[in-house]
Amino acid sequence: MRFHLPSALRKWARDQEIVELSLPLDLRMTIVEAFEMLGREYPGIRQRVLDDRGNLRRHVNVFVDGENVRFAQGDTTQVTHASEVRVYPAMSGG
Amino acid sequence: MERTNGIDPQSGDLILMVGTVKGAFIFRSDRTRREFRIAGPYFKGMEVFSTAYLPDRSAPRMLMGVKSQHWGSTVNWSDDFGASWHEPAEGNVKFPAASNLALNAIWALEPAPVIGPNVVLAGVDPAALYRSNDRGETFRPNEALLNHPERPFWMPGFGGLCLHTVLPDPRDPKRIIVGISSAGIYRSDDGGESWTRRNQGIRMDDAGPPNAPHFRPQCAHKMRYDAKNPRRIYLQNHPGIYRSDDGGDSWIDIAPGLPSVFGFPIVAHPRSADTAYVIPLTADNFRVPIEGAAKVWRTRDAGASWMPLGNGLPQQDAYFSVLRDAFVSDSLDPAGLYFGTRGGQLFVSADEGENWRTIADWLPAILCVKAQVVG
Repeated sequence: MRFHLPSALRKWARDQEIVELSLPLDLRMTIVEAFEMLGREYPGIRQRVLDDRGNLRRHVNVFVDGENVRFAQGDTTQVTHASEVRVYPAMSGG
Repeated sequence: MERTNGIDPQSGDLILMVGTVKGAFIFRSDRTRREFRIAGPYFKGMEVFSTAYLPDRSAPRMLMGVKSQHWGSTVNWSDDFGASWHEPAEGNVKFPAASNLALNAIWALEPAPVIGPNVVLAGVDPAALYRSNDRGETFRPNEALLNHPERPFWMPGFGGLCLHTVLPDPRDPKRIIVGISSAGIYRSDDGGESWTRRNQGIRMDDAGPPNAPHFRPQCAHKMRYDAKNPRRIYLQNHPGIYRSDDGGDSWIDIAPGLPSVFGFPIVAHPRSADTAYVIPLTADNFRVPIEGAAKVWRTRDAGASWMPLGNGLPQQDAYFSVLRDAFVSDSLDPAGLYFGTRGGQLFVSADEGENWRTIADWLPAILCVKAQVVG
């Protein structure tokens, strides 16, 4: 699984744009579980993508294989070893 | 670590730490307070709800409660007057999983040297109190308040369910008073082991929530200790202005003489007993200076009478508001007063409120101001 990080988060991943998580071929998990796992190596990423309850933060958009999880199964969207995950800060006004 | 421009103050200089909706700024002046220099912005684009200064002469530290709309809230710190800032990788203010709560914003940062030399207390939204024993680097929640049996009756206001005021008693390390919107005033007399609501005497016309009609949630906006007597506390409530002479056990109405009971901040004079300041706004539903004329009101007799001060403040077409943490005093003589507006103006008085001027006109909306003389 590969995570594509926005510039604002890369300092929490040793300045990498893409970080990889090696998973067994038959493993499936939720997108939240994937970020929890990523957080073991990059706790600063987990902190900024998930809130204290372990939910995706409101103003963070996460795409799995091109689809925004908000329009899929949200926090329970399934991912596999081959998933491409992209993180975007939501556009905001003011 | 974010590197930026620091301020390099001299001993005896005054600094103002100003948090806004789009970052923080630091102003510096000598003791005359005639000229201020600005540094920043720090935390560009982020909301800075709270600041604190730890005045250890050998290692002073600035703290800021920073909220990214995207990435959450942390307490960040600088040990070099803003030249660099430490942002913790993992959140340093976090709710335990069992609470099923998630941190929104850090509303208050309060050094508590009476409790311990490295102790900082933090008030947050959703309402909870945190304690740091390491000068603001890590925090732990106060479990008794987190699990308070009245928590289900607390109701968020427009600003959230925020614990915005933390008053450690300057003489008693076991006593702490907090203000929560909308719940009211809670006090612990046993070092945070238990908390009791202390709203007696504060008017509340509406009933409580359906699950507890007897519970009358108060929206305490800001409290301050009297300069000489920590049993005397001044309160700007959502509707009403009050004083307690018994450490919060009871409250008496001191609003008569003021043109409005509504406002957010209240400030006590740093040395003179019985002296406090408020900035009345028109009403709950129109939070601007009365008739467009900005005035600070002062009492010198603990609220028995009030006098308006407005020389130098805009006296027509002024339609800003001043939030609860955006009005402070310094510790100099004569005392300086400072308030920031949601319009981005920062007003300064170097003579106890008699005369005012702006030192910034175009900042983002100001959330908080702290004044500190550098040791």
